[in-house]
Formats: sequence, structure tokens, C-alpha cells
Amino acid sequence: MPDSSAPVKTDIVLQVNDLNVYYGDFRAVKDVTIDIRQGEITAFIGPSGCGKSTVLRCFNRMNDLIPSARVEGQVHYHGIDLYGSSANAGEVRRRIGMVFQKPNPFPKSIFDNVAYGPRVNGLRNKAELETIVEKSLRGAALWDEVKDRLTASAMGLSGGQQQRLCIARSIAIEPDVLLMDEPCASLDPIATARIEDLMQDIKQQYTIVIVTHNMQQAGRVSDRTAFFTTEINSESDRRTGVLVEYDSTQKIFSTPSDERTEAYITGRFG
Amino acid sequence: MDELRKGFHHELDQIRAEAEELIEIVIDAIPRSTRALLDGDLDSADKLIRADSILNARSLELEERCYRLLALQAPVASDLRQVIAIVKIVSEIERSGDLAVNVCKAARRIYGHQLNNDLQQVITEMGEQATQLFTAALEAFRESDAAKAAAIDDMDSYLDGLQRQFIRVILESHTQGSINVQVAIQLAVVARFLERIGDHAVNISERVRYFVTGWLPENQTISRTTSSVDDTDGIPYIED
Repeated sequence: MPDSSAPVKTDIVLQVNDLNVYYGDFRAVKDVTIDIRQGEITAFIGPSGCGKSTVLRCFNRMNDLIPSARVEGQVHYHGIDLYGSSANAGEVRRRIGMVFQKPNPFPKSIFDNVAYGPRVNGLRNKAELETIVEKSLRGAALWDEVKDRLTASAMGLSGGQQQRLCIARSIAIEPDVLLMDEPCASLDPIATARIEDLMQDIKQQYTIVIVTHNMQQAGRVSDRTAFFTTEINSESDRRTGVLVEYDSTQKIFSTPSDERTEAYITGRFG
Repeated sequence: MDELRKGFHHELDQIRAEAEELIEIVIDAIPRSTRALLDGDLDSADKLIRADSILNARSLELEERCYRLLALQAPVASDLRQVIAIVKIVSEIERSGDLAVNVCKAARRIYGHQLNNDLQQVITEMGEQATQLFTAALEAFRESDAAKAAAIDDMDSYLDGLQRQFIRVILESHTQGSINVQVAIQLAVVARFLERIGDHAVNISERVRYFVTGWLPENQTISRTTSSVDDTDGIPYIED
């Protein structure tokens, strides 16, 4: 019986094959293979240390910034090997934006925060910048709240507004993929609901991958869910992250296939 | 790692135990209702009719406990399936209790009329078979046994056959003048009540399959309706 709730198959944006990530000689993530599909929201869930954020950071080469980090395996973005010799980390991060757990606006005005990326990319025309800033703030559902104080400091915004500003700043350079690393972890329920609504509104334009500790959030917002967990190496006694199950979110939260997924989401461990 | 959410899981276990107890009440009520009918025992029939309000109240309370868990604990995976299954099972239990009451009410209506051996035998057999179906459904539920649950459908076919036989015996008894038309009609609906109890046992077993495997009985119903149309609505057709 076909699963009627399964998302319609769309193009693969990120194709990950046998991904292994090491920090020095420690293997943090083992043999992850996963496809991320266009126009969908994919959620990564799992306990601390399961490698979900590490895998997410591989998608825009954020791990390059950690000197001891080493990535093995392939991450193909629209068929291009992100870790191949022809890929440019700056260009990768322009196409694949990231929103972090803690809102991190620059200590600048609201306008300058959103205009930052386009300016770095060489845009100087004031009218064009204004158009992009308005469009991005509207896209992040923040325009009506800040349109009369665009020159005010971004640091004066509430936490939820700051996070939406960071989303506006990310989409100002028109990325293809938006990576979100626990974007609502520091927000109250109303601000969280705004971000979740926003994700639904923009998912047609941006493929979204979200890491979340909140399983109900994964259930509410995502089309597909990947469950990661840790495996303990009996020799070194160190924990390595593995991908256990990847399926439609409806399937994961109603009839997961793997016992480890079932145990984690119902709270029945051991 | 240890088990988390212990309080929630404890309440889930309690809810399940309560559902099992309610099924046991029905298992006890079915043969007592047919006995009351056969013996013309109106005292016993009255007791069963009065006891049904307790079953109704406990069913309602169990349903509300399920809603509370859904609202407050947001269960997922097998926990979610179990709560959903019990919500469905509760209504099957409650309805089956009503059907046993209906058999008792029929006992009142035919009071004083003698039933011949053939009638007595087929009523006894239908009561026993309906009780067996409910007992099998309880076992499947208690043991989370999807295979046992799947087998109950076949047991129900036998009960359906008994219903057809019962109708035949009623027609014969009426033709021979052993029972009048009022009694014949009452017995025909008793046949229907007992047959329906079997259907409720099948429904319970289907919900057991759902909570064990995630299989939804509606899937089968949909494929059944698309392949052939059963327009008998469960009412047996007896050729002259």
C-alpha cells in the first residue's frame, strides 16, 4: 500500500554519499547517505552528539573553519561535488545560507544587516539595495514590524525579531538552500510559531534543512525527518554519529521502521 | 539510557488495563444475556440491563483519559497508535454492551413463550461463538498479537453462518406453529444482535493490528469496495 502522506518526489538538491567526518583521529559521523529534496523541509533529529549539526555544517562547508576537521565521502549539490577541487567555499555559502541557534545580528542598523550580503557581492545602487532589503524583510515576515525604524540598531530587536532578521539577511542574497541549526532554541512559543509559519511560507523558494531538539517542531514543520543517533565504539569508548532512519515525517512519527527511532521518540530507551 | 516519561507510560499502561477490564465485562455479559433469554430469567436480564450503565460510564471515562493523554502528552509512534486504537476500541466495547442489553430486552418481550430444542441450540451456539470471538480479541489485545488478531475475521464467518442457520430455524419453527410471528421477529433481531457483537470483536482485532503494525483496516475496506460491491449490508438472504 503506497504511503499517501509521502511527499511528492522532487529534484534532489543535496546528495550525500558515505559521509564521514573526523575531528583529528576521532570519527564524529559515520557513513551517512541521504538525499535532500528541493522545495521540502527536512528535519534532523537525535540526541546530543549524534552528528546532526556536524552533517548540516558539511552542507555549506562550515567544518572547513575547524582546523582538525576532515570530511570524507561526497556531498553533491545539484550534481557538483562540494568538496571537489572546483568548488569555492565562499560561493557554496552564498548559495547555501545558514541560520544559527542564537540570533547573531551584526551591531549595525536593521537596514545594514540585510544589505550586508548584497553589498559584499558588490551591489552599490541605493534603490536596488532598498528593494532587496524590503523584499527580504517581507520574506522573513518582519517588514511590518520594522519598516519605520530601518536605521535603528538591530540589537534593539526582540530575540524572535532578531532571528527573523537573520533569516532576512540570509535570503537577501537569494540562496538556494537554507540551513537552520536549532533556529528556535532561544525563542518563546510565539516567536517559534512565527519562524515555523515563515518556514512554510518560504519553502517553495528555498530548500530548508533544520536541526531541532524539539521533536514536535520536526513533526509540525517538516516533510521528511532523518533520525540520527550515537554508536559507542567498544575499543575507544567514544561516540560516533550515525543516520538510523530517513523517511516521510508522517511515517517517522506514526510507524517508524527502526526500533531505535521508536525508542527515542517515545522516550523508551535501553 | 533509562526510560524517560515514566509517568506518561504508566498512564498508558493503566488505560490499556482498563480497556482489558471493559472487554472482560462484555465477555461475561454475552453468555449471561443468552442464558437469560433461554431460561426466561427476567431477574438476571434486569441485572444485566442495569449494569450496562456502569459499562457506559467507564467507557466514557476511558475515552476522556485517552483525550487527556493526546492533549497533554502528544504521544508518537506506537504510543500514539495505542491511544488511537483504544479510543476506537472503547466504542466497540460500549456498543457490544448495548447489544447484550438488547438481547436481555428481547428476553422480556418473549417471556412466557416456549422455545423448541432447535432454537435453543442455535441461540446457545451463537452466544458461545460471539463470546469466543470477544475472548480471542481480548487475547490478541492483551498480547499485542497481530497474527491472532488477523485470524478473528475467519472466526466471524462462522458466526455469520450461524446467523443464517438461526433465521432458517426461526422460519421453520414459525411454519410449524411452534412460535408466533412476534416471537419470530424478536428472535430474528436477537440473531442480528449476536452477529453484530461478532463484528465488534472483529473491529477490536483490527485496531489491535493497527496499534501493533500501523496497518489500517480502512485500507482493506477501500480495496474491497473498489473490487466488488457487497450490497447485502450484512443481512442474510434466505432462499425459499
